[in-house]
Amino acid sequence: MSLDLRAINRCVRCGNCRSVCPVFEELGWESANTRGRIMVMRGLADGLKADADVLDSLNSCTTCGICTDNCPAGANVPDLIESARGHLVSQGIMTGAQERLSRYIFESGNTFGEQNERAAWLRGRSRLKEKSDFVYFVGCMNSYRYTETAARTYDLLRCFGVTLLPEEQCCGSPLLRTGFDARKLVNANVRQMKQIGARTIITGCAGCYTTLKKNYPASFRVVSVPEFLAEHISELNLKPLDLTVTYHDPCHLGRHNKIYEQPRQVIEAVCKLAEMKDNRQNARCCGGGGGVRSGYRDLSLRMARRRLKDVPEGVNCIVTSCPLCIRNLRDAGAGSSVIDLVDLVSIAAGQR
Amino acid sequence: MSGILEDLLEIVGSRASSSIVERRCYAADASQIEGLPDYVVRPKSTNEVSRILRLCSRHQVPVTPRGAGTGLSGGASPVKGGLVLDMSSMNRIIDIDIANLQVIVEPGVVQERLNLALKPYGFFFPPDPGSSAVCTIGGMISNNSSGMRCVKYGTTRSYVLDLEAVLADGRVIHTGSKVLKSAAGYDLTRLFTGSEGTLGVITRAGLKIVPLPRSRRLVLACFEDAVIAGQAVLMVFSSGITPSACEILDKTTCQVLKRCDPKLAIPDDGDLILFEVDGPENSTVKECLHIAEICSPLALDVRVAKSQQEMDAIWAARRLVGAAVAKIDPAKTRIYMGEDVGVPMSQIPALIKRVQHITAKLDIPAMKYGHIGDGNLHIALFIDVMNEDQWEKLRIAADRIHKAALELGGTVSTEHGIGLARAQYMPEQVGQEALQVMRSIKRALDPNGILNPGKLGL
Repeated sequence: MSLDLRAINRCVRCGNCRSVCPVFEELGWESANTRGRIMVMRGLADGLKADADVLDSLNSCTTCGICTDNCPAGANVPDLIESARGHLVSQGIMTGAQERLSRYIFESGNTFGEQNERAAWLRGRSRLKEKSDFVYFVGCMNSYRYTETAARTYDLLRCFGVTLLPEEQCCGSPLLRTGFDARKLVNANVRQMKQIGARTIITGCAGCYTTLKKNYPASFRVVSVPEFLAEHISELNLKPLDLTVTYHDPCHLGRHNKIYEQPRQVIEAVCKLAEMKDNRQNARCCGGGGGVRSGYRDLSLRMARRRLKDVPEGVNCIVTSCPLCIRNLRDAGAGSSVIDLVDLVSIAAGQR
Repeated sequence: MSGILEDLLEIVGSRASSSIVERRCYAADASQIEGLPDYVVRPKSTNEVSRILRLCSRHQVPVTPRGAGTGLSGGASPVKGGLVLDMSSMNRIIDIDIANLQVIVEPGVVQERLNLALKPYGFFFPPDPGSSAVCTIGGMISNNSSGMRCVKYGTTRSYVLDLEAVLADGRVIHTGSKVLKSAAGYDLTRLFTGSEGTLGVITRAGLKIVPLPRSRRLVLACFEDAVIAGQAVLMVFSSGITPSACEILDKTTCQVLKRCDPKLAIPDDGDLILFEVDGPENSTVKECLHIAEICSPLALDVRVAKSQQEMDAIWAARRLVGAAVAKIDPAKTRIYMGEDVGVPMSQIPALIKRVQHITAKLDIPAMKYGHIGDGNLHIALFIDVMNEDQWEKLRIAADRIHKAALELGGTVSTEHGIGLARAQYMPEQVGQEALQVMRSIKRALDPNGILNPGKLGL
């Protein structure tokens, strides 16, 4: 993979990214800001040696895309960062965290290196249909960490006839975001999707969603759980709840895919919504994306703590629709007050 | 040059770096001027700055102060190596002193943050460069920045009451006081303002602030050509109205903006003038009508913006127009060269004609926009940066534009500064004798020449 100089040259170094980059806000060095990272890429093109500082500069970007939305020159930063990481990885240059994460995924098909049954959360639920138009793509996080959310999502979606992939693999997102080739995983999942005869893939993970949309064959219709729930809201028999919640826009649902209204429609069908200080296209990143959580835990949590300061007073919980955001915000001190949109809907549907 | 890193680390801890990655990231501002520093340091206090400068003086290490690095002249590019002093971490607003109509800030405060903090008090700091979301007060003072509203409110220089500055040898001075006027000796505040970090490092500033106007209104007047537009502007000013902004966007600029955002409510079939007026509700309504009346006989089209949202959208597009061209043609990049000339207001139409001639002859596409109300024309030249021939044409065009401005009795820089990008024009711009005086002042304050060497043509 080589560096795309044409894309790099779009940056005119105006520095507008300084006003929005959440990593720069924490660290204060230009190398931790988009403009600096692009200067580093230019450096690599002129023979700058890729040392640990180069890796830290490129790998500390969460690819949240807020700079892209605010870039007057129209640089596509997540793409630039991912291709620069790929450029280095293809030469065998990577951090220990990148090496570990990719090894886990290549060896076990999931981001945790877990050897256990991926769909263990199904427990006593009925056998899966072998053929269906709809597949629920669970993702690594919900398969292994938030299994109750996986089960609740499945229970909500089952009445619409969804099934699961018999041997779902990681969607490939963590590999693609950090510069690796994910074709093996993509192909394994696509083969199963075709066998099932699926035309629509539904996922509750914002990271999987972007990957399924961007890196999988365009013949599949990819739908996020918030979109699906919004579309079928009248069929869900939801009872109003006496709660006020706020909503955190995951970068990969919001800025990357412009899904802002559907999760809000679902929330407002169930309870009251109070917006976070920065929301929709201005929402701050939770700090967990782009491999930053696995590579730079402390930095990642600092961003999450800052994001929590945007929560309005008096809300009962923080709702979001990305298990990576949930984990990072919980770990940053919000604990069980952070829930998935599906958890909220399940309460309103009387599932628990 | 590994000599002073240990001392720097002792002064600022982990806020000093000599890593090649950081050095590369601080090699340039937003101009084409580059130089590789040996160290980058991010001080947090006047005391740290003073100790750093003492150290650099002792070791004769060049020091290039830097704000947000948004400058367009190479002012913050460390062309002689040495140390880049990134002042953006000194970013506290120390005092909002409404009773005395002023604020005390550290130099790293971002313009927009300052105005957000002042808004609840009903006040603002008027100079508003296009980079106001990012640029720092220290950088603005050092370049005497201005922006769209300066036609009514004046440049940064009009707002600086007092500076705390660290001299090359580490001494700390104040250049003014809290009073709104003073007649005590040489005006060092004005001397340091616009000195681009060549005389000292600003570590604190007292700035005058003014009440926010109660309303703002915008008139859009579209003209067949810039000469007629220029006449209309002169007529508006001579009728006794001072607009709070008076901008020209030429036809190419309007077309670019329109292609970036087809919903933007601007005409794109002529040269557009944006007249903004501010003040009490009834006076802005009246002034708008008056401007429209004056322009009507000359214009293709005149109208008043309907809503605050419409105004905000037009101004937001105007602010970021500089870099927007790449959104339309990914093979073209806007290069900031020859971008900041100014002429006496009456010469604007002549300047526009000269620029049209220069760029047409060299076949370089150009957008022309700027603060016509104070004679400032921004010229955006865009080229394919992978094409060496186009770079050469660009350099020739920029040189001819600078010379045209000088011939029309103007300036090579109205608000972006001289830095190194325009240093070659200083003898002609200020005259040899005046330049000698500047050199004497520089030598008196910085005998070893460690402060931002290579800049201002000194």
